[in-house]
Order: sequence, then C-alpha cells, then structure tokens
Amino acid sequence: MTNPVIENVRRSLGRASQTPTGPRPAIHHARQAESIDVEIESFLSEIKKLSGVGRSLVPSDIDSELKALIQEQNIRRATVWETAHLRQLGITEILHSLGVELISPNADKHEMATCDLGVTEAEYLLPETGTLVLRSSAGKPRAVSLLPRVHLAIVRPQMLRADLHQIFAEVKDDHYLVFITGPSRTADIELTVTLGVHGPRSLYVWMVGR
Amino acid sequence: MTETPTYIGFEEYSEHVPAGIPPAVQQATNRFISGRAARVAELPQWEELRHIGSDIRLHTIENMDVYLSRLEEKVVAAGGNVHWAETAEAANQIVLQIAREHHVKTAVKSKSMATEETGLNHALEQEGIQAIETDLGEYIIQLAGTGPSHIIVPAVHLKKEDVAEIFSEKLDLDAPSDPVELARIAREVLREKFLNAEMGISGGNFLIAETGTLVLVTNEGNGRMVSTMPDVHVAVVGIDKVIPDWESLTVFLKLLARSATGQKLSTYTQFITGPRREEGEFGPKEFHLVLLDNGRSKVLKDPVGREVFKCIRCGACANVCPVYKNVGGFAYGWFISGPIGAILSPQMLGTRTARELPYASTLCGACADVCPVKIPIPTILRHLRRRVAEGDEFATATLPTLPRLSAGFASIALAKNWIYRLGTLFLPTIMSIFRRGNWIANAPYPLSRWTRGRPLPAFTAGFRSWWRKAHSREDQDSTR
Repeated sequence: MTNPVIENVRRSLGRASQTPTGPRPAIHHARQAESIDVEIESFLSEIKKLSGVGRSLVPSDIDSELKALIQEQNIRRATVWETAHLRQLGITEILHSLGVELISPNADKHEMATCDLGVTEAEYLLPETGTLVLRSSAGKPRAVSLLPRVHLAIVRPQMLRADLHQIFAEVKDDHYLVFITGPSRTADIELTVTLGVHGPRSLYVWMVGR
Repeated sequence: MTETPTYIGFEEYSEHVPAGIPPAVQQATNRFISGRAARVAELPQWEELRHIGSDIRLHTIENMDVYLSRLEEKVVAAGGNVHWAETAEAANQIVLQIAREHHVKTAVKSKSMATEETGLNHALEQEGIQAIETDLGEYIIQLAGTGPSHIIVPAVHLKKEDVAEIFSEKLDLDAPSDPVELARIAREVLREKFLNAEMGISGGNFLIAETGTLVLVTNEGNGRMVSTMPDVHVAVVGIDKVIPDWESLTVFLKLLARSATGQKLSTYTQFITGPRREEGEFGPKEFHLVLLDNGRSKVLKDPVGREVFKCIRCGACANVCPVYKNVGGFAYGWFISGPIGAILSPQMLGTRTARELPYASTLCGACADVCPVKIPIPTILRHLRRRVAEGDEFATATLPTLPRLSAGFASIALAKNWIYRLGTLFLPTIMSIFRRGNWIANAPYPLSRWTRGRPLPAFTAGFRSWWRKAHSREDQDSTR
C-alpha cells in the first residue's frame, strides 16, 4: 500500500529500504515516586496551584462535603459517571436526597449542557503536575467532565503513578483518553487569566481513603 | 491571512509596525519567558530532555516514511479514515467533500496552524459553510478580520476595549471592557455553536505512529468540544507531526507546555484513536485524519534545512527574539512567525517568495538556546541566506554583481598565500593616498559610504610580522 506523499518523502530522504535506520533513541529519565503520603501531598498541592480545590477525605465525609459543595456552587442539576466506586460511595443517592435533579450521563448533549455539576472518577493521577487521567466508555462519558460548569473528580491514592511512562504503558491501547490539569483557562484577553472559558470553571478533586 | 502569499515584504512591513504592537507583544513574551525559566529551573534533567527530544525528532525525520505508513495503518485499524493531501488545495477539497457528504452548515474549529496554512476557512465559506474559530483569541481576530500576532495569544495586540467594541458590533450586544465578562460572553455564544455544529475541525500536536493516535493539547477546552460534540471530527495535520511511540511522547509533553506558557502541562491533553466505540460515551461517529504535505516532502531533501521539522510549535524562539519582539507576528507574512517562521516559510514557499525572512534576524542565537528540541536556527538562517544569495532551485541569485565578484576575488586571494602577501606589500602604499595620521577619513566609493559617518583606522597589514614576533617570544618563554 503506497501513496504519492510517502513516495515523495522516501525519494527526498533518498531511502531505498522500508525499515528504520535504527531503533528510536533511548529515553533514560523517569521520575521516581516518593512515599505515598508525599505523593498525595504534592498531587493535592498542585491542584491548588492550578486554582482547583484538592482535598483528602474519608468516605463518611462525602455527605457533608457534597452538601457544602452544592450550596457553595448553587448546584441544581447534576450528572454522574456510572462506576462501581461512585455507586459504592452512594453519590447519586446523596445528591438526590439533597434535592439535586439527576440527569443520565448518556443523555442528549443539549440536556447534558444544562447540568451544573459533573461527577467522575479518574483512572490515574500524576502527582508532579496535578493531572487527572480519564478514560471513556458508555459508563464514563466524555461530556460529564466537559459540559457542566463544575467538575468533581473522586479519586483514590492507588491511582497515583510516578510518571507518564507508567501511565502510558497501561493506557496506550485505549481509543480515547483525556488528561485534565486544572480548570479550563485562557489568558487571551490582555493576558488576564480567566477560568471556565469553554470547559468547567471549577475543579474539585477529592482523594478518598489513604 | 487565508491566501498563500506570493511575496513577503518583511522589510517594508517592519518599517511601518503599528505603535501598539511592540509593547503588547513584549508584555506577552516577557510573561512566557519568565514562566518558562521558572519551570526549567525546577527540572534538573531539562538539558537531558532537550537532548533526547532532539535525537528522537531527528530519528523521526530520517525515517518519516516508515512512521507515516505505520500511522496510516493504525488509524485505519482503529476505524478512522486517512486522507493524504499533496497540496493545500487538495486538503481543502478533502474537507469540503466530507462536509458535503454530511450536509454540514456549521463547522467549529479549534486552533490549527495547518488549516491557517491551507486557508481552509475561506474555502469553506465559499461553499456556504460557516467556519467558526473557537479558541478565544482566534475567535476575536476572526470577528475583527485580522491575523494572529502571537502563536499562543493571537489577539494580544488588542486591548480589552478593542475586544469589547468588536463583540458589541459583531454580536449585537453591549459588551463591557472586562476580560472576565468578555470571556463569559464568548463562552455562551460559542457553547451554542459547539452543541449545534455538524462538524468539528482541529489540528494536532502529535501523531503517534505506534497506535494511530492524535494528540491534541488545549487550555480552554475548545479542542475537547470540537472533538467530542459534533458527529464528525476532521483533524488536519502536517506530516511532520508524526512521532514513533508513546514513550517518545513522555519527552515532548514535558518539554512543550513548559517551553510555551510556563505550565507543567496544558490543561487538556487528549489522546484520540479513531471514532467513538460506544453510543453513550460521546465523541464523533466518524474520525478523519487529513495528512498535509504542501511542500514538506520537498524540504526533506535539504539535510541542513529539514531540521526545522523537529519543531513542536511552542513559540519559545519567538518569545526571546529581539526582532520578533519589535515587529510582532504580522511581519512574517504567513501562518508561522518568529525565528521558526523565518526558517520554515522560505523552505516551504521558496526562497523567492520569502527571501527577506532569513535576514529577519540578528543571529544572536537566543532562539537556539531556548529551543526545547535544539533546532540550530542560526545555522539554518545562515544556510538559507546562502541559498538566497547564490540562488537555488526556487530562485536565481539575489546578490548584486559587485559584491559577488569581490567576495569571489577575496576567497581566491585569502586562499592563495602569494596573492595575500603581495596585497600586504602594496596596501600601505595604496593607503598612503587616503591616510591622515592613523585614520582614513575619505575612502573611495564604496567605502566612502562608511567613512562619511566615521573614520576607519588605518590598516597596518602587519599580522604576519606580528605573528612571527609573538611566536618567537612565546618560544623564548617556554624554553626559559
């Protein structure tokens, strides 16, 4: 299978063979993980530096924390990923009992856009940059972390990885991934940092358990 | 900036830079430079990363055919469509064809250098398809009808009052001159477009050959919107964006945001391998990758010049460039500005169209010092100056006959010992005609152009005798 662009590239490079000239240069550097407490601490502090809210909780705090979040952000409608961990924490039930209207995460995009809050978890976390790694499937739709103005991610310490190398090794065969590092931001008008230009304005990350 | 330029008059433009441009550009570049410096200082292995990054890019350039074939195979295996575009025109036709098939009326776009290169918006509009830029800065300049002044913050030359005026006029509302309010207005207007557009168009930061993955980096989230909300996602990407594998990407992601904006990572990094797999997950039903050549394969012939394709589009070279800081982005006349534009445009457009650009530099070397993938920009600038002066496949020599003849004569004289010595023998005699004490105040033309301003010190032509004396002294010193 060949085409003119690849043929032109090959001709310009003066290459006859179709095999690489050698292996890709080796990459030596990878960050080493610190103790789990230090890793959690640096992850949460990075989230704060990015104007997000990062916090360590125990499962019994979820009730009161959600209540506070809903008041603070004036949440009326929410949509929640359908995952085992979020079910186990009873997120939808708590939101429902607080009078929040719940929209299916697979709802039409116009309906999803009316949600104030989207709740997800993360697959992996990067402590050095405060990054959440989210996968995509019918139970974990992409729009939940994108359309609502507030994004809450509930994460666990075992999701922490030392560096990109470990994460990439585990996710490279996924058909879609997004790395989220702080709330949506721009500095396009007079270099004034403004949050929430297209994506969520507020990012909450709750680390549950230790 | 939708048409491919036929001549770039850098010199002409740089003499008429609007007064507001340099201070606005310098404010942005200074912010990015200090952000970058802080991030680099945190990372002790920075130089090692640059080194590896450079090596991987060189390896990829030298094997580009192999990685492009692998990329195509993997994108198709993931259920995506691959289109090859030899020219800008071909790329636009491919996108138009996809748009026609899906009866597209509105397309939302996230920032894409490749579609600015091809002038896609213009082509879409001629077919009656509305193409909306959604990066806030790009949206502003699209409404204003001007071009970008900086790669990262394209509307930095506009004050908040200007933006308020543009919004009020074009969107028919009363916009206050407050950046936060203006961003909120743009969010509302564009949210509507994201939800209703039939097609999303993006560029791409990297293409991973290993798995056929498009990597898309944005801060605002518009890149996510255009690749998540419409049913069709088309990515137009230059063939030079291919990288071997995910492991390579660990290096480039660490280099990119730190060099560009002084962030550790940009807010959103997406990894897209084909269309969506399940109904409820959101994401496009169709994924198209348009791979753009448009002269790139031709550039690969020049082993010196092709290092330009190591570029990961961070803009750091422009941020430190004393020339760019004083003229801004418009002067470079095409989609890419700054030192990287000065070495890319002449190679892609030809040394006739862009023959002034290799001279748009003081050769101070600041660009090479900050480049995260170690592109030897000053070396390539000198190389291109030579191509411009001596002529190449695009253009005849631009150097006038007299300097070319004298340079030719000088190269003979300096290479032949006896001619040189003959010259040093006669020079003091010739010079005595013009000499006044130790100075030459009135030299004949063309040197008079210099001496009219200031005198020249008289040549003593005594290097060889000085050298003999200096060395005999050294010899004595060492034997002592």
